[in-house]
Amino acid sequence: MATNGNIVSIRNLSKVYAQGDIQVTALDNISLDIAAGEFLTLMGPSGSGKSTLLHILAGIDRPTSGECHVQGVDVTKLNESQLADWRNQNVGFVFQTFNLLPVLTAYENVELPLLLTRLNRSQRRRQVEIALGLVGLADRMKHLPKQLSGGQEQRVAIARALVTDPQLIVADEPTGNLDSHSAQEVLGVLQSLSKEAGKTVIMVTHDPKAAAFGSRTIHLEKGELSK
Amino acid sequence: MTIGTFILKNALRNKRRATLSILSVAVSLFLLVLLLVALREITLPVEGAGAELRVAVRNKISIANLLPAKQLPIIEKIPGVEAVTPFTWFGGKYRGEENMSFAQFALDPKRVRGVFTELKMPAEDYAKMEQQRDACIIGKITADKYKLKVGDKMTLESTVYPVTMDFTIVGIYSGTPDDRNMLFRQDYLDESVPSTKGMVGMWWLKVKSAQDMPKVISAIDKAFENTSAEVRAESERAFQLGFISMWGNIKLLVGLICSAVIFTLLLVSASTMSMAIRERFRELAILKAIGYRRRELFVFILAESFGLAAAGALLGVGGAYVLFTYNDVGKLTNGMFPSFEVTPRIVATGVLVAAVLGIVASIMPAISVAKMSVTEGLKTLD
Repeated sequence: MATNGNIVSIRNLSKVYAQGDIQVTALDNISLDIAAGEFLTLMGPSGSGKSTLLHILAGIDRPTSGECHVQGVDVTKLNESQLADWRNQNVGFVFQTFNLLPVLTAYENVELPLLLTRLNRSQRRRQVEIALGLVGLADRMKHLPKQLSGGQEQRVAIARALVTDPQLIVADEPTGNLDSHSAQEVLGVLQSLSKEAGKTVIMVTHDPKAAAFGSRTIHLEKGELSK
Repeated sequence: MTIGTFILKNALRNKRRATLSILSVAVSLFLLVLLLVALREITLPVEGAGAELRVAVRNKISIANLLPAKQLPIIEKIPGVEAVTPFTWFGGKYRGEENMSFAQFALDPKRVRGVFTELKMPAEDYAKMEQQRDACIIGKITADKYKLKVGDKMTLESTVYPVTMDFTIVGIYSGTPDDRNMLFRQDYLDESVPSTKGMVGMWWLKVKSAQDMPKVISAIDKAFENTSAEVRAESERAFQLGFISMWGNIKLLVGLICSAVIFTLLLVSASTMSMAIRERFRELAILKAIGYRRRELFVFILAESFGLAAAGALLGVGGAYVLFTYNDVGKLTNGMFPSFEVTPRIVATGVLVAAVLGIVASIMPAISVAKMSVTEGLKTLD
């Protein structure tokens, strides 16, 4: 499928959950293109399907029907193992609750995705140092998550998302657990990744102020694009 | 960081739980080794010169029923028989002890050397036993335990016969697998207990060669068929196993206890691993999201489970090996177990149980992680 400069191309995507006998439509026939280097924000009320959409285009959930091409690959056609490899190489994840492993230092948390690659120890070290430097935490490498502030934890999570140099960064309410100052820092980092590093960032948020950092905002309501 | 460090950090993240898990595996495996060694020692064939050529002859009804002494010349005449001695259990209590730590048997001092060839004692002590009516000889373990020496007197109150008898120690023997028994003269017993004069507890005999053994056993059984005292002749090994079986099916009993130990151990380990994985579901979901596949997560879980079991095995099996190898278990058990050897086979059994445990305990958590989708895993955290 031709991508026409779009990194993400979604066509007629639907997702229906079965809850007992009841069918719940989370996404209803959505089509959407996202250009490379774009900082797209997804907004909408709870249950509108924005996280489901984010999960499908990041390859951690599957649609009921439709196509989802990311960098020319229809992720809906990949099997579990192929998807895992694809995610490792192409997607960086940032979550609301940071999700760092508490027993690992900041350095080790960032290094985790690289253990799946063929890089040797010194190559991994270089990558990790660059990623932590980009988020301004080069001096916190040996700190455990509990020794970091919420904003610093989220920046470590962003470094982990960046370390494999993926083209696509997905962030699910990354500022939801942060104070306004830390939120500004994190949003600033995501914005610079898009503007300066050319990464495509897709962020789910409830906060219009956070959405203002994006280059485009789309709204979902009851599983449909509303704007 | 390597994958190994990552696994180790995860396994030790809850140090108290890891320690308790390792200890529970260690204690259970220690108990398993203890039971296996005890079972082996109890059922071990008697070793030593002559043991494979010895035959025990007892009353067919039960070992408690006596046999007539007049059977002796008939047994002696059976082709293949080299030496025979009566062997009568006295069941004496020494120094008022409730639990007897050594057994006493009445026998023929002239014949005993021909049957129990491994029994080592100076010839002059045998001669003294033949000359002195109240003479007795005792095993070295018993002599050491009670600090007895040649010339000392012993008084034993029988729990089998209505008599208390005095003895003089004329010799201390060694060389048998269990140097604890006290041996004295059958004729002295006959004189002391006239009501059973002419009766003996059983016969022990030695055959000339291993080839003679089945013929002799069959001939002895046949010789007393349809008499008032039918006998059962059997090899020392068979007699020993039969004697043990009188305690009940000890193999089955120990087997059941071992199974219970292993099963409990399995439940504890599986429960520990399930808890450890359940509380880490969100992290495993994150690992899946960033590219770790099911098989890699399975390896993490298996390695962690295996590591805990291996540490337990090292402590439990290794501890048992060190304890039983470098301590005198004979002394600790009052001579009940003259040897207590943790054989390579028993060590291997303990290690194998730990390995299987490590694998089995990881299966259920691994399946639940494999089934878990990333989005489900993420829901457990939000």
